[in-house]
Amino acid sequence: MPWSLPPPDLLASCLAQPARLAALSLRQWARVLVQAREASLLGTVCHLAETHGGLESVPEPVRGHLWGGRMAAERNAEAILWELRCLQRELGWVKMQPALLKGAAYVAAQTPNAPGRLCNDVDILVPRAEIDRAETALRWMGWMTTHLTAYDQRYYREWMHELPPMEHMRRGSTLDVHHNILPETVRRQPDATRLLAQARPLGDGSGASVLAPHHMAIHCAVHLFSDGEWETAIRDLYDFHCLVKGFSAEQGELFWDALLDEADALAVSVYVHHALRCSRHLLGTRVPGRVISALSAQAPGRLRQWALDWVFLHAASHRFTSRRPVRHAISRLALLWRSHWIKMPPLLLLRHLFYKAFLAPRDDAADAVKEQGAGRHG
Amino acid sequence: MRLAEIPEAQLRHRLAGPEGVTLVTGPFSTRIRSPVASVARGLADLYGDVRVEPDADWADFHVQVRAPRTPRRWFRPQVLFLSEGRSVFKPLAFHQAFPMLEWGLNWCVTANVKHHLLFHAAVVAREDRALILPAPPGSGKSTLCAGLVASGWRLLSDELAIVDVEAGTLTGLARPVSLKNASIEVIRSFAPDAFVSDPCHDTLKGTVAHLRPPRASVDRALAPVRPAWVVFPRFEPGAETRLTPRVRTSAFMELARNAFNYTVLGRLGFRRTADLIERSVCYDFTYSRLDEAVATFNAMEPPSA
Repeated sequence: MPWSLPPPDLLASCLAQPARLAALSLRQWARVLVQAREASLLGTVCHLAETHGGLESVPEPVRGHLWGGRMAAERNAEAILWELRCLQRELGWVKMQPALLKGAAYVAAQTPNAPGRLCNDVDILVPRAEIDRAETALRWMGWMTTHLTAYDQRYYREWMHELPPMEHMRRGSTLDVHHNILPETVRRQPDATRLLAQARPLGDGSGASVLAPHHMAIHCAVHLFSDGEWETAIRDLYDFHCLVKGFSAEQGELFWDALLDEADALAVSVYVHHALRCSRHLLGTRVPGRVISALSAQAPGRLRQWALDWVFLHAASHRFTSRRPVRHAISRLALLWRSHWIKMPPLLLLRHLFYKAFLAPRDDAADAVKEQGAGRHG
Repeated sequence: MRLAEIPEAQLRHRLAGPEGVTLVTGPFSTRIRSPVASVARGLADLYGDVRVEPDADWADFHVQVRAPRTPRRWFRPQVLFLSEGRSVFKPLAFHQAFPMLEWGLNWCVTANVKHHLLFHAAVVAREDRALILPAPPGSGKSTLCAGLVASGWRLLSDELAIVDVEAGTLTGLARPVSLKNASIEVIRSFAPDAFVSDPCHDTLKGTVAHLRPPRASVDRALAPVRPAWVVFPRFEPGAETRLTPRVRTSAFMELARNAFNYTVLGRLGFRRTADLIERSVCYDFTYSRLDEAVATFNAMEPPSA
């Protein structure tokens, strides 16, 4: 039935119950591999296979790809940690101690989702009042701003919650400097001082800090459920699942209380509601009944909830192996629209879309990369 | 089962269907789906000796070559290459479907494979010793590779050196050798018996045709070979044939520059590259006449290892 909700992908059920990996047939592995490749989860699947039955029980042709995924993730983690040391030194000069966000935070803090995880860039959070000082300091240290057109600069600086992505002129690494977790233009912007006030030093002597456990989970939920690009949604949901599972096992009820209180204080309970709902459905995350009922006060009406579930679950499935490619495409498109709708008030959105459709310079960079790709392979 | 054992009508039917045809080239299997006639023709012409998995449960890569679902299907028709449902190159003119498949198959390996060390190089072998020819496009490595293969060297690949990260040996793909522009005629007159496909004009790289890999190379693709020579070729119109020794350290740097996943493999990548160089003799090679070039390589003695 078109209105029924799709069952979890094979990859999702393996992430939920890693013991299943040991019993997969070669045909099932072929499916898992394709899904994990798209979601950048090869390293994670390798880690899970190793800790549940061992890599030897994985059929021979699959093993190499998993091993390669883990290898790539290990090198990536080394590079990120090295990058963090450089960054620490560069911002140490001006006595700034930003909090790490997302991938870099998971790798540095060794959260349960870290083994095998890839991250492309470093995200940091600094106080709104210090953002200019941070940018100046970083420029002196060789970080250059990207997205140089006047419109793009204005888009980031006036409307978004981060500076335009910066790139280091020698190291080539990318850095996103945030001052909040949602754009300036959302209807109710979270109070980011709460995040920084409760951030925890890493305790590795580097002076860097990461968000408090409840904030880390909240940010993960907010990021995914306000985003319009869901190619790696299952990875982000798995992050959320691991964080919630790990932290609640460590801190018990305290974690759930903090999660509810802070989500409320930051006015983002609805994102946490969606994240818990999806991760329960797809990954079997265990959530106490009282948390579910407390959050259901934030839930949209029944019809809207059904529509959102339909969109989220179809969009979280894998495109190429989806049995329902049309529904999948509709839901991904719906999420793209939704993310713009959340991030911008209607008039601004109209203006932004008009600019992107008619005035923006054509994005030839991506095409050039593609062309170069073809050029190099033959 | 070899691809040539499938009658052409059936091959076309299977390629157009949902299961496609799964080809085994060296260590990788690729499920190919395509309703495009020139793709079926190209596969039948060039991949006849290649093994096909009849009911494949597994494929390393899943690719499609088809027209876009836009008006460009009919109006100035285009073709797309999709890897696991995602278009990875800009669309090309419809008649270039087969060269696009070839580029795409190379892309699948270089973009996804991290469990072998990969270099951008042609590799041929004599007995079980490999001649590795790393070079950027335009240096004449494919022509040289085709000439050597037509003279009895075993073809491993004209594009990719695949190094086993444990043993340090090389594995072949034994896929068609891509020939560009003038080198098509050069190979046709050099090796009149070899099968060269009909040229495809006006591609990104000019006119392109493919040399069919010899059956013996296809059958032995997985037999490992040990590195013996690393030679950096350069085609220079009118130049004398010149083979000059190259210092190992500089050969190492140049080879590493031609690696696809050197950094992903980290220390392991460094060690394997260093091993490979240490077990080989390294040269720079300038040439303009293919017969002299082939004679030079035929006369080379492998280092004892």
